[in-house]
Amino acid sequence: MNAENRTCREIEPDLVAVAAGEAGASAARSVERHVGICRGCRDELARYRVLEGMVADLRRAPLAGADPTLARAELESRLADIRSRMVAYGIFSSPLGKLLIARSELGVSMVRYIDSERSAKAYVARLAGDDAVEDKAAVEGTYRELLDYLNARSTRLSWQLDLRWAGSDFQRRVLAATAQLPYGAITSYSGIARRIGAPGSVRAVAQALRHNPIPIAIPCHRVIGSSGDLTGYAGSKIGLKERLLSLEGVPVGHAAHKIDRGHMYVLYEGYTEYCLPTCGSLATEPMSQLTLFGTRRHAESVGLTPCSSCRPDLHPISA
Amino acid sequence: MVRDMTEDPFETVVAAHHAEIHRYLARATSRPAEADDLSQETFVRAYKAYRALPPDANVRAWLFAIATNLCRNHYRAEGRRRLAMAAAAAGATERGPSWPEGEAIANQASARIDLIVAGLPFKQRAAFTLRKVHELDYDAIGKSLECSAESARAHVFQALKKVRQGLDDLDVVHTERQP
Repeated sequence: MNAENRTCREIEPDLVAVAAGEAGASAARSVERHVGICRGCRDELARYRVLEGMVADLRRAPLAGADPTLARAELESRLADIRSRMVAYGIFSSPLGKLLIARSELGVSMVRYIDSERSAKAYVARLAGDDAVEDKAAVEGTYRELLDYLNARSTRLSWQLDLRWAGSDFQRRVLAATAQLPYGAITSYSGIARRIGAPGSVRAVAQALRHNPIPIAIPCHRVIGSSGDLTGYAGSKIGLKERLLSLEGVPVGHAAHKIDRGHMYVLYEGYTEYCLPTCGSLATEPMSQLTLFGTRRHAESVGLTPCSSCRPDLHPISA
Repeated sequence: MVRDMTEDPFETVVAAHHAEIHRYLARATSRPAEADDLSQETFVRAYKAYRALPPDANVRAWLFAIATNLCRNHYRAEGRRRLAMAAAAAGATERGPSWPEGEAIANQASARIDLIVAGLPFKQRAAFTLRKVHELDYDAIGKSLECSAESARAHVFQALKKVRQGLDDLDVVHTERQP
């Protein structure tokens, strides 16, 4: 190539493209024309072709000192660590309004009633920082199961739960005891306090349930005041508590936000038979010893049999 | 489609691409040891962004773009080091096979090219490696380098010219040393 020659200089990129097999038809033609008359560029093209061949060897030759094995192993353990911390969440609509559902590889970690998507996302970001990612697809299955439950197509949420957002051991114990309450059964805050061996901590139990990270799945709606008051739910959403209980066949006095023990079947702690509310001294027993059922079906579905003296099977409570 | 979190599709991505990205980074940084850190960082970032990636995205090109980006930032942070590297590589080119390590590998054309590529400015080095070693198209290279496909092509061209020149110089040195 003659460095002084403008044509040679200008054609060099095309020459390189031809050598690499990347040139378009017209560029290839002008290169062919030019090397026909320019010996320097003909040699140049030959050298670039040789170079292409050498460069192709780079794709096959191992690179000195570049073994990815160790980096790969370290990467796998970093990813495992990130994966275990990571929480995927999505926001969905439901019969109870908008819900945020979050889960990790351990299980469902949050169900939250939300008013505004923005503040809900900010809340999750505050809790989880970078570890939270919005990924509806990852929680879609969980949402479907919840929807079936809320539409009375199923009575069980057999989810693995991830209690990472339970604040303390005490709260974990409260949540674990609450999770044991069967569908259609209710007890009192004092009942939960007794079950976890802390009968004096009724108010602390109520606080722990107020901050239940996974309502519905951990059925804090089944826990009420000793007087039968629904007390509270998810802040000020007592209407949702009524709806969840009604779904389970629990008769709720809507006006008073109250449950009437006189209209519920009763299980006394430690027994395997369920009774009418008037059986023996049940009407005066403290709520902490009792589990109440709205229907016989729900009582029997957990293996209880009708009491042989009051015979709730013969004298069912009229609605 | 419901995606189960316990079967992480990203594992397939790591298995398919980690070795190649590592090899790319070893060349792009001109220091194989740094490819360990940067390849991990590439996949950690990719993992976090993976969920938001459209299903029809070209995952491989996307990984190269992340890796290139990290590499560039790495150099910005270590600007002085890069200059030192370039000087060292230029020295290597001048002295050619008389360089002790150079001696051992000088007969291998590919090792000689790697030596020359190590001394190129970052954009040329990355563009050359992406095109000639990993065979990405110019659009993808442009996206990696945040420039047009045409600029990407120009970077590869400049790199090729210098590689050619560098090989010529090595040969000259070599023949001059023959008695």
